[in-house]
Amino acid sequence: MDSPWDDLTLAFSHTSMFPFFDIAHYLVSVMAMKRQPGAAELARQNPVSSWFTAMLHCFGGGILSCMLLAEPPLKFLTNHTNVLLASSIWYIIFFCPCDLVSQAYSYLPVQLLAAGMKEVTRTWKIVGGVTHANSYYRNGWIVMIAIGWARGAGGAIMTKFEQLVKGDWKPGSDEWLKMSYPSKLTLLGSIMFTFQHTEHLAVSKHNLMFFYTVFLVTTKITMMVTETSSVTLAPFEDTLSRVLFGWQKQFSWCEKKSETKPSSNGTGSSASKPTAGASESVKKKHAKKTG
Amino acid sequence: MELLSALSLGELALSFSRVPLFPVFDLSYFIVSLLYLKYEPGAVELSRRHPAASWLCAMLHCFGSYILADLLLGEPVIDYFSNSASVLLASAVWYLTFFCPLDLFYKCVSFLPIKLVFVAMKEVVRVRKIAVGIHHAHHHYHHGWFIMIATGWVKGSGVALMTNFEQLLRGIWKPETNEILHMSFPSKASLYGAVLFTLQQTRWLPMSRATLIFLFTMFMVSCKVFLTATHSHGSPFDVLEGYVCPVLFGTGWASDHHHDNHGSPHSGGPGPQHCPAAKSKEELGEGSRKKKTKKAD
Repeated sequence: MDSPWDDLTLAFSHTSMFPFFDIAHYLVSVMAMKRQPGAAELARQNPVSSWFTAMLHCFGGGILSCMLLAEPPLKFLTNHTNVLLASSIWYIIFFCPCDLVSQAYSYLPVQLLAAGMKEVTRTWKIVGGVTHANSYYRNGWIVMIAIGWARGAGGAIMTKFEQLVKGDWKPGSDEWLKMSYPSKLTLLGSIMFTFQHTEHLAVSKHNLMFFYTVFLVTTKITMMVTETSSVTLAPFEDTLSRVLFGWQKQFSWCEKKSETKPSSNGTGSSASKPTAGASESVKKKHAKKTG
Repeated sequence: MELLSALSLGELALSFSRVPLFPVFDLSYFIVSLLYLKYEPGAVELSRRHPAASWLCAMLHCFGSYILADLLLGEPVIDYFSNSASVLLASAVWYLTFFCPLDLFYKCVSFLPIKLVFVAMKEVVRVRKIAVGIHHAHHHYHHGWFIMIATGWVKGSGVALMTNFEQLLRGIWKPETNEILHMSFPSKASLYGAVLFTLQQTRWLPMSRATLIFLFTMFMVSCKVFLTATHSHGSPFDVLEGYVCPVLFGTGWASDHHHDNHGSPHSGGPGPQHCPAAKSKEELGEGSRKKKTKKAD
């Protein structure tokens, strides 16, 4: 690999997130919060609660990772500059005269720019989380993956939890269980950076950061422009789930046959049978539906 | 002669308390925990549609006790996940339980005699966890009795205490029911066990730790195996509670409890006749902790 390329990626990996990329992140997060029904009225009636929600949207990932590592969850408040920055962005978005910021934001190129810059901060957060977890647990690669993921995509979980506590939202819908597309990508990135950190992946860190960021930004922008959700990963995921979790569907006809013959599993536990039988029939139904 | 037998019992208990838990006993703990997860309504469907959520649920079932104890003692919640071998073992068991071809693994494991062996081994792990938890809490707080009891209880009852949260992961949110309101036999037994081990740790109980582990394990194994074999959901404490609680909490409670007892399809209470020796030891801790339990009930 020639040296100008290396220089470029190295310089890129040393870019400071602080003023511009952080602003973009806060802007996108708070705008996403404002899109929720009732958020604007809430800000008029109860600014404190609205501010708190905005902080959760902006710093949720950090809070979640602090909770997982038994650090004070309010640690983000010690970073005065960032909190002030996020607060001022919250203020101008909700209380700007004539709603100027929202109107400017609804212009597509601005949105694309802000979203692209937000994805850049995601890479930095994942790397930060993985390194931080590694300082606690030398060989705990599961912990490293989890912390990297929590930093990168934990904000969504925190905000859902906050809505649950406020009573705005009931889990029952599938949305909670389905991992959103960004969190899947974050998980993938977290795994890659962890393996890079434990030197199982023979790529230098700045190169990986560069390529991952480019990947994130391009997929995000493609998704926004074409207005689709989950493009890239769907075929890959399909194959993977068929390989890993598809065993029973292939064998389901076998099971059906064995079911017709009684006592195929001998003197199985009779008390566990009602529940086990119920779950089995549910499963069979599902297998039939899909198979 | 008597000395000799006492010595051999002590030695037996000591060597029993030093058996390493990791591969075999932990494996059976995971198997039984995940079996119970599979019995939950909707769990199988969930594993088909959202494997990630199902895996997380499985991890909670396997490591819930460590997570809760770490949370209470202010240590990193994901501390135990640095233990990669255990996590991989639990993940493998989860995979086999839910996705094995022909459901073979599940059918083998839920075959009653095999299941009983696993259940017995699970109780060994439970008692050991209680003992370790109390030792750990003692290390942090030398005179914190309640902290020791709470840590031991949490370690023993595991995921049962965070049922609400675990259900939330599966997309069910029922805040009106929880484990504290309807304590199951393992939770109660863990509570009483935690009291006993705390008494031992603070030297109020003239008994070595190894002996206590041995005796309490015997009690738990025999009770749990009996309960599983007879498919009863009652608990051996029901009878005793029926006597003690009216005295402590008045008549209103008694009638309530009676109704509860007769309402359940399986009459509980085969335990006391089953293992009277361990029972008398139970009573020691019972009086002091009864109050807390009943308040919770």
